[in-house]
Amino acid sequence: MRTTAARAAALTAVLALTGLLPWLSGTDPALSLLRARSAEQEPTPEALAAIRTDLGLDTGPVALLGRWAAGLLHGDLGVSWVSGTEVLPAVLAGLRVSLTLMGAAAAVALLTGATLAAPAALRGRAGTGTAAAVLAALPEFLLALLLLISAGVWLGWLPTSGWTGPAHLVLPALALGIPAGALLGRLVAEALPAVLEERWVELWRGAGTSRRYVTTAALRRALPPLIPQFAMVAVGLTGGAVAVETVFAVPGLGRTVLGAAKSQDLPLLQGAVLALLMLGLLAGAVGAAVRRRLLGPALRDASLTLPTARPTPVPPAVPLALGAVLLATIGWGLLREPYAIHTTARLAAPSAAHPLGTDALGRDVLARLGHGAVPTIGTAAAVCLLACLIGLLLGFLPDTATGFADVTNALPPVVAGIVVAAVTGPGTGAAALAVTLTAWPPLASHAAALTQEVRASAFLTAQRAMGASPLWILSRHVLPAVAGPVARHAVLRLPGTALALASLGFLGLGAQPPTPEWGLLLNESADYAERAPVAALAPAAALALLAALAVTLAATTTRRRTTTSQRKALSLAR
Amino acid sequence: MNPPVPAQPLTVAGSPGSDTSSPARPAPIGKPLAPAHAASAAPQPLLSVRDLVVRYGSTTAVDGVSFDIHAGETVGLVGPSGCGKSSTAAAILQLHRPHSGEVRFDDVDLTALSERQLRPIRPRLQPVFQDPYGSLSPRRRIQDQIAEPLRVHGRWSHPAGPRRVAELLDMTGLNPALGSRFPHELSGGQCQRAGIARALANTPQLLILDEPISALDASLRAGILNLLLDLQDSLGLSYLFISHDLTAVRHLSNRTLTMHDGRIDG
Repeated sequence: MRTTAARAAALTAVLALTGLLPWLSGTDPALSLLRARSAEQEPTPEALAAIRTDLGLDTGPVALLGRWAAGLLHGDLGVSWVSGTEVLPAVLAGLRVSLTLMGAAAAVALLTGATLAAPAALRGRAGTGTAAAVLAALPEFLLALLLLISAGVWLGWLPTSGWTGPAHLVLPALALGIPAGALLGRLVAEALPAVLEERWVELWRGAGTSRRYVTTAALRRALPPLIPQFAMVAVGLTGGAVAVETVFAVPGLGRTVLGAAKSQDLPLLQGAVLALLMLGLLAGAVGAAVRRRLLGPALRDASLTLPTARPTPVPPAVPLALGAVLLATIGWGLLREPYAIHTTARLAAPSAAHPLGTDALGRDVLARLGHGAVPTIGTAAAVCLLACLIGLLLGFLPDTATGFADVTNALPPVVAGIVVAAVTGPGTGAAALAVTLTAWPPLASHAAALTQEVRASAFLTAQRAMGASPLWILSRHVLPAVAGPVARHAVLRLPGTALALASLGFLGLGAQPPTPEWGLLLNESADYAERAPVAALAPAAALALLAALAVTLAATTTRRRTTTSQRKALSLAR
Repeated sequence: MNPPVPAQPLTVAGSPGSDTSSPARPAPIGKPLAPAHAASAAPQPLLSVRDLVVRYGSTTAVDGVSFDIHAGETVGLVGPSGCGKSSTAAAILQLHRPHSGEVRFDDVDLTALSERQLRPIRPRLQPVFQDPYGSLSPRRRIQDQIAEPLRVHGRWSHPAGPRRVAELLDMTGLNPALGSRFPHELSGGQCQRAGIARALANTPQLLILDEPISALDASLRAGILNLLLDLQDSLGLSYLFISHDLTAVRHLSNRTLTMHDGRIDG
């Protein structure tokens, strides 16, 4: 009940935020519109006021929101500020392209997932190995760029931009589908072995049931708990689409929304964000419905024990080695000068003077990589800390937290980044805020699960019986039991958070030049990938290392001392 | 499932082994705290439960239960699982507030008190739970957990506090060296003793024993039952002993009540 109310409140808040974007926007929309319409006209107060009246910005937020909501009910999303055309047809056209791309990506994902999960299903082997896990953690923009450089530019097999034929579909679908498929395959492969070891499997086999029948039944048992995560993957596709469509210049909804944010075409932005949000919510709702269909009353009565996933164990040496390489590179780079411009040594190949070469302005790539760690990983640490605090706080109000989390789950970091950037203008702070907004739900659900577990234990009853006050119980028993594991969980999410920040930086929504933030670094150097491949690949390699670190760190730590609920929360969080 | 508890070690001070429900159990030796024979000596009961009704949502778990416990007396409460024994215990302890009825403890109706008003009274009636490990925090040393009731009520001081903890460990038959251990480093029986030591920290008058031996190995049960008898003798405690094990209840109790579907039979 409270969950439903919170869900409705969160949804209303997001809708209102979207509707109020023109009013909230930090940079004066009238000014940017004037620039967009006629570059030579002077921004006199009269001209700006005329535009404001024209757009209805002078009537205040309530009237603005009311008009937008009323238009929404009639299927009218307004008129683009830049092109002056109707928004709805543009959004629908973009949606058609994006849905085609997502469909193709989903096919790729299913194929990848099935391939990775096959050994587990057929031979009962646990996990999919570290390589697949790293693939799952690789952000879409990075894979898109690597595919673009390798298959498109170097090998020249496939077209790298545009949307004119089926060949144009291949690379974007691969970039979008492979990480999603690797994640799906990994989830299934980790869930299956526990199921295949259950008593009934032995019984069925003993009774001579065919192997195919047993495997089907095992899948039927392993899948329902994974469905919410499948829905999350589908939501992730909408966020990934923004990056992939931008890299391959596909005229889909993702590129539309990014372009609209950058040109401050707020009506178009509103329409496109609304469509992405609806897509995400739809994915979540379909996931919930399928799960209910598969589990039936067992779900309602909470009487179903679900198999616990068994992540592939990774020796602690692996993340240690990865972290050491990363830290050594960063440390070396920090000792060098990142902003010195050498116009004579532009796009130089690696040499003794510049171990990783130079960029288009002749700046040392190694130095920029090292100094970029501070805005990338430092910001990620701040975001994780903030998300951890929010998660702990909301973990004590599980019903409310679930409702809010359902809505924020439908909002990938990239889309949140676009909305925040439209309000505050792009920048490190905006990117950090956007990632924080989407980073707390897994931590809150973990905290809620732990709180529930502690609160149900007999020793807390003993505390109450001895006359301890609620504050005493909270501060001395509940908080210590919850804060430690949730903080560890937040640390585990640090590399992933850094990747989310980097993808915003890559799209130009985060840190601004000349900050050497890694995503931005990759974006700047990607244009020169043919002439200076090392400079382009260095930030990509750093981000890939970060992805590998994220995965292996999680795999080594989840093995240690985790309760069922913790594991459940961790897997939900992924 | 429940092997008979050996009768011999259960009897104290060489009294004729008696396992009937008559109040003929041996009187505590040389302890002025407790009346010689509770039922006859104290006209005013220590605990008086009247028309207790406990509900969980629309389910009625306890439906009009009344009984008394006098000082120094052990009342057994038996019945099948789900009959409302533990709900009765939780309602007496005000851990789950009863729907209606009275719980008079030392002539104070606990049901009428607020949570804050209850706090100073709570140490005087203490629970001992079924799950020996679950009733202790896995994150704290045994000695800190035994000391916690003293700290909660602001009675901790040096050197009296540590001395009291050592005394409690000794009273419950635990080696003082075990105090610095964590619950998972102890056996179930040792954890149950630590739980009893914690319940005794603030010198209670009544212990609500909710299946205190059900989770233990048969070999450890007699030890805990003997400990409870010894403590009753030396401290003059009253017990409400809840169990589905009729033999154990008969060994320990002066009177036995049988519950069925939320009501006391007979």
